[in-house]
Amino acid sequence: MLDLIRKDMILQKKTLPFMLLFLFIYLFVNVSTSWVAIVFCIVIIMNAFETDETSSANLLLNSLPYTRKEIVSSKYIGALFFIFLTLLPIFIGNWMIHGEIMHWKVLLFITSIVMGFISFAFPFSYLFKSKYLLIGSGAVFVIYMVTLRFIPDLNDRVREVVQTVLSLDNSLFYFTIILSVALLYVLSWILSIRIYSRKVF
Amino acid sequence: MESVIELQHVYKAFKGFELKDLSISVKKGFVTGFIGGNGAGKSTTIKLIMNLLQPDSGTISIFGMDLKKNEKEIKQRIGFVFDSNIFYENITLTEMKEIIKPAYRKWDDSLFDQYVDMFELPLKKNLKTFSKGMKMKASLTIALSHHAELIIMDEPTSGLDPIFRSELLDILRNLIQNGERTIFFSTHITTDLDRIADYITFIHNGQHIFTKEYYKIEEEFAIVKGGPNLLDRDTEQEFIGIRKTNHGFRALTANKQRIENIFGDTVIIEKPTLEDIMLYTKKGEERDARSYS
Amino acid sequence: MQIIISNQSKEPIYRQIYAQIRKQILTNELKAGELLPSMRQLAKDLDISIITTKRAYEELENDGFIYSIVGKGSFVSEQNKEMILERKMKVIEEQLMSAIQNSKEIGIELEELKELLTLLYKGDT
Repeated sequence: MLDLIRKDMILQKKTLPFMLLFLFIYLFVNVSTSWVAIVFCIVIIMNAFETDETSSANLLLNSLPYTRKEIVSSKYIGALFFIFLTLLPIFIGNWMIHGEIMHWKVLLFITSIVMGFISFAFPFSYLFKSKYLLIGSGAVFVIYMVTLRFIPDLNDRVREVVQTVLSLDNSLFYFTIILSVALLYVLSWILSIRIYSRKVF
Repeated sequence: MESVIELQHVYKAFKGFELKDLSISVKKGFVTGFIGGNGAGKSTTIKLIMNLLQPDSGTISIFGMDLKKNEKEIKQRIGFVFDSNIFYENITLTEMKEIIKPAYRKWDDSLFDQYVDMFELPLKKNLKTFSKGMKMKASLTIALSHHAELIIMDEPTSGLDPIFRSELLDILRNLIQNGERTIFFSTHITTDLDRIADYITFIHNGQHIFTKEYYKIEEEFAIVKGGPNLLDRDTEQEFIGIRKTNHGFRALTANKQRIENIFGDTVIIEKPTLEDIMLYTKKGEERDARSYS
Repeated sequence: MQIIISNQSKEPIYRQIYAQIRKQILTNELKAGELLPSMRQLAKDLDISIITTKRAYEELENDGFIYSIVGKGSFVSEQNKEMILERKMKVIEEQLMSAIQNSKEIGIELEELKELLTLLYKGDT
């Protein structure tokens, strides 16, 4: 199974350095670190996902001595690995460029958002295809824009909520978040295995 | 004799297509050619054997083990080649090897290098730039580098020139020298089979027509040619398929001996090719369909 | 061992192989006990399927021309003893003829020759 994650690394070998380069450029520009980290994590993870989505890649992986469970699981474990791989340079970069050490709460926040996203994106993509994810998220965006018309200060409110969440100093609260995100992730994992086992190539 | 692949009463239905009660066994140590027209179900059958599809009912066992329960163990021992390229396109052959290699316990780098040399494949070039023939050679190299006991190929010779096809057959022949390896491959270039196939498995319209030793086909089947006056409602029943012209008929029989007894010297009896058998089976079916309607 | 097969021939390939090996055994080109090429090797050399050579060998074995030992291969049978016997008999006949010739030259009678032969035959064993 680790071989499958290594495979994703080999396939991403050419794009990863570029991604890191972009990452550093973004870090110089004064954009929210969390935002950049989330976007990069998702892009890298979904990129790896997409490479294996073609029917030929599925033919190959399923003909090799791997079970479908392992193929799906490698994506979920790999995603965690890619999150770490993105957060590490961001953490270091932030420290070197801005001289600040990221708070663990921020890291947790980023990880939770990305894991939450994946929990929906993976089963959705296994069921349909990741290209429809764009349509799906487009739809979500339209809904967001529409909501924005009715609640013009939505962005500020969201920011407020995020700020309040981050400033909360209740370890039990954080524990609940970690637990629920982990639970969501595992459920999504099981669901994806179920969907993928029934697939036809 | 020991069977390596054993399909028992396998059903699989898709929209507009059905594999019906397919029972096939592939003998260990031999080459089995898998023939049938387009859409006969060859690729579907191969996908079922590779567990890329699951049967609606029936069982599939390979190396005497249930495919569902021992999928990993079984696939360790299979080398596969598909008709289309299934490699990632933006990497080199060396990188592809690095991806495949860890999957197999018995991967053999020296064997890999040997085939790369033999096929004169570039290791550092993007797989995207490979020609169709080179891609096939690359697939073959990967399939043969882990000492597989069973080699499954879907149309490996399609789109290849005669020289490489001939080379491929030589390689396959060398592979089966020790008697431990089994080769199962589908093809529609039936002349490839003349040289190497020990058994022929023929499917038509999702149904298994026969699996026979190659020489038995020549013994049992025959192309019969004769004048038009020889055919009537009864004699027509003796044939699988008939092609009639004003000057005479050409037909396929599955019982050469019987035809010789019935017609004697009034007809010419010839060896059939596999293509004849495929063609006349289809023709016969059309006739039957007409007579039913 | 020389085998030439024709794809054009009406005769099945395994029959062609059968006939040619049989002929070589009968003419003593292939000697008793001699190891035949393995079925797989022969198929490779002749560019034909293994099942074809297998069939030819099976028929040769059924007809007693060859025998096979698992794990060792196929050998030319001793079973054509009759022929070997016949050949030996001919040699004996010739040798006896020359003995008779010599006997006649020096006037040795049949009875005397018989006695000599009996003596030598017994003494030898």
